[in-house]
Amino acid sequence: MMREFKFMLRDKAVWVWLSLAFVFSLAAVSLGLNEVSQQNAEIAELKQLDRAERRTNLAAQADWGSAAYYTFHITYDPPSDFAYAAIGQRDVSPWKHRIRMLALEGQIYETDANNPDFALVGRFDFAFVASLIAPLLVVLLLFDLRSGEQVAGRLRLIEASAASGAKLWWSRAGLRVSALAVALCVPLIAGGLVSGAPILTLAFCVGAVCVYLAFWTMLTLLLAPATRTGAYNLTTMLGTWLLLCAVVPAILTQLIERVVPLPDGGEIVLAQREAVNDAWDLPREATYEPFLQRYPQWADHTAWNDEDGFEWKWYYAFQQVGDQTAEPLSQSYRVGQARRDELARWSSLISPATLMQRTMERLAGTDMQAAIDYEQDVRQFHGVLRDWYYARLFKAEVFDADVAIETIPTFDPVGR
Amino acid sequence: MSSAVRIAREEWRQWLRSRLAVLSFAVFTILLLVTTVLTTLDVQEARHLRLHQQGQAEEAFYSQPDRHPHRMVHYGHYVFRTPPPLAMFEPGVDSVTGQSLFLEGHRQNSAMFADARAEPRAGGFGPLSPAKLYHLFLPLLIIALGHGVILREREARTLGPLLSQGVTGAHLYRGKLLALGALVGFLSLPALFSSIAATALGESLIASMMLYIANVLYLGIWAALALSVSIATRARGVALGILSAVWVLTVLVVPRVGVTSASATLPTEGKILTDMRMNDDLRKLGDGHNASDPAFAQLRTDLLAQYNVNRVEDLPVNFRGIVASKSETDLTATLNAYAEKRMKRELAQAGHLAAYGLVSPYLAVGGASRHLAGTDLETHHRFLREAETARYEFVQGLNKAHIEKLSYVDDMNRNNGEEGGRRARIDAANWQVLEEFRFTPDSANERISRATSKLTWLVLWFLVLVCFGLISARRLTP
Repeated sequence: MMREFKFMLRDKAVWVWLSLAFVFSLAAVSLGLNEVSQQNAEIAELKQLDRAERRTNLAAQADWGSAAYYTFHITYDPPSDFAYAAIGQRDVSPWKHRIRMLALEGQIYETDANNPDFALVGRFDFAFVASLIAPLLVVLLLFDLRSGEQVAGRLRLIEASAASGAKLWWSRAGLRVSALAVALCVPLIAGGLVSGAPILTLAFCVGAVCVYLAFWTMLTLLLAPATRTGAYNLTTMLGTWLLLCAVVPAILTQLIERVVPLPDGGEIVLAQREAVNDAWDLPREATYEPFLQRYPQWADHTAWNDEDGFEWKWYYAFQQVGDQTAEPLSQSYRVGQARRDELARWSSLISPATLMQRTMERLAGTDMQAAIDYEQDVRQFHGVLRDWYYARLFKAEVFDADVAIETIPTFDPVGR
Repeated sequence: MSSAVRIAREEWRQWLRSRLAVLSFAVFTILLLVTTVLTTLDVQEARHLRLHQQGQAEEAFYSQPDRHPHRMVHYGHYVFRTPPPLAMFEPGVDSVTGQSLFLEGHRQNSAMFADARAEPRAGGFGPLSPAKLYHLFLPLLIIALGHGVILREREARTLGPLLSQGVTGAHLYRGKLLALGALVGFLSLPALFSSIAATALGESLIASMMLYIANVLYLGIWAALALSVSIATRARGVALGILSAVWVLTVLVVPRVGVTSASATLPTEGKILTDMRMNDDLRKLGDGHNASDPAFAQLRTDLLAQYNVNRVEDLPVNFRGIVASKSETDLTATLNAYAEKRMKRELAQAGHLAAYGLVSPYLAVGGASRHLAGTDLETHHRFLREAETARYEFVQGLNKAHIEKLSYVDDMNRNNGEEGGRRARIDAANWQVLEEFRFTPDSANERISRATSKLTWLVLWFLVLVCFGLISARRLTP
């Protein structure tokens, strides 16, 4: 074994691929850590600004209705300790929302989009390196393992001198790929120690990387026989990589999209907007009836007593009804999203690259499920806010800015 | 028959004899054909759908009943971006930015529901488009077939005899380049189809052809590179290793590192943070819904003096409408200032990223393709600007109707029972202030001039590689 190790160290190509692997992993991990710390800093700043802004806003109001209209609330989904390894869905789905008492369906689809040119190129995170580049490195390390010796005329000699030919190649391949695993995982673990990721998560991730590399090792040894030239082997392996890492995931994506069509998102917002706009012209009962089905406790508090002819509680009631009108569409959009995610999860059974990436994103809490959970948290918080304001609006409590500042609900992500 | 053609034909014969070469060739051809057909159909459908939706949105706006004009300001309107014909080759930023925008008073919304957000996460490189295949993966086929063109002769020991029979290195080079050129030409046929189909749909011929040529040039760069490496190395394994490494670095690594570097050097603030800062500015402008906001006291005094009356009720115009109009103007100026700042920053970031195109032809060809197809960041920005103009115009059109067609007294009594509500309405004919919105691509000249610097780099890369190859071919020894 020691002898094999020395052989490996003498191979210049091995050094090239291993150092590339290390540099890629190091770059990906440090870029990931940087991104996570930027997101955390942004959340901290948003929280601070949010508190200050709400204080000023509430202090300037004279009634609960305008207080609810003018005060915004920050909600956010802080990155996990392991998010540096896979930014995942956080690049496309919002992880922060600024919401207020108006109909939520008009607010929750806003996205704080990054430069679109960036999204087209993609992100260089550890998940990318591990799931897409690492297989290539395995291939490059192993394609010429046997065919190279064959060309040099040593293959028979080597196989004859070893107790078992197969065992020899496995241990040679194993040695190289283990070195690759080390080169990839050392920066990952170092990053984990810096960010305080749970040991179990790290261990699981390292395990996943090893299994994935082992899969590619087997595939390469299987598909790159000694009887073929190195060039032939590398060509077939590049083709295999292309198939498994690009074509299959692309086909799966398209298939799932066609199998589970989503309702046009614009329709949701449109339904909500039409309902809210129509309400102005409708008799109040038309608004209060569906509203009271949801909130029967305010049935005795809908009396119209403002001389101006405008009632905030009615205004918010029809905002609520706007959401209720859009609910079936919105619901089916979310169900569709979850269904697509479920199919993608199943599809990873036949697509190793998909499995690898999804595993990392699950560990990092940056997958579609996390985005769906966060949206649910926002919906729930908006519900809490509604309950709180309805109690004040319908009971016609006198507005007190100090009380409002003290008792207004705030979003707490730990609740999940 | 010249020696170059003979050499090229021989090379093709060799490829066709290799089952692996034929197989990979067939796989790529099928992939290209399927992707081209599917993307073409998708884009065609999206073009029809969005045009239809745009018409529907206008119809819905025009057919609103008589009501208070400010209600229509909040009712709002949708605009859609129809993809340009060349999107069937390069869909570009569409899937990331979303294609529809909701326009309403007092706000600039961002596009919602980008396709990318609801895409199932199946890993890999996401859905394929012809451009993605050409830019990301076709180089692999060229590497696989092209790395051995000289090495094969060397390994089969036919290089010596060839050179001694009076075939010079330069001849050989020309022949092999011709063989690879024919390969590139064949592989580029689906792109040519996209370009011709786009032209048939009204795209300018010159832009479509430039797009085609840019992509041929890009493949040519890989062919020239493969040929150079084939000359300069002594073993196929090494040549393939080098070429794969170049591919990994320039296609997978450098562009992504460029993105991170661009966003680290020129960070953008999130929209929420900007909105919160902007709110401080906006508060100073006053609330346009509230005519008694102290911010409008000066306006009131000026107006009263101008018409020489004592009460706003006596003004010949509706003061609430004037306040709404004035505050929309001020607010829009602030919103636009922030929006322009953001767009400028995004362009600076794109410029920073584009500079990496010097070392990564992949970035250069991607950028050039999006410029030429009209699916680039600049076009998206123009869409945002045109949508904003449309927004401002219909809101101010409604405000004008508010000022001129609705009396202040009726307006103030709008919540005063059903009768009050009825009197505070204006005729639905006023909704015609909304103009039809049809988004069209930039002129071909403009798109080409945006792509020029990236195209120049591609040309330079190609020339440098060909020169390098020619020089080393002249020194070719068995």
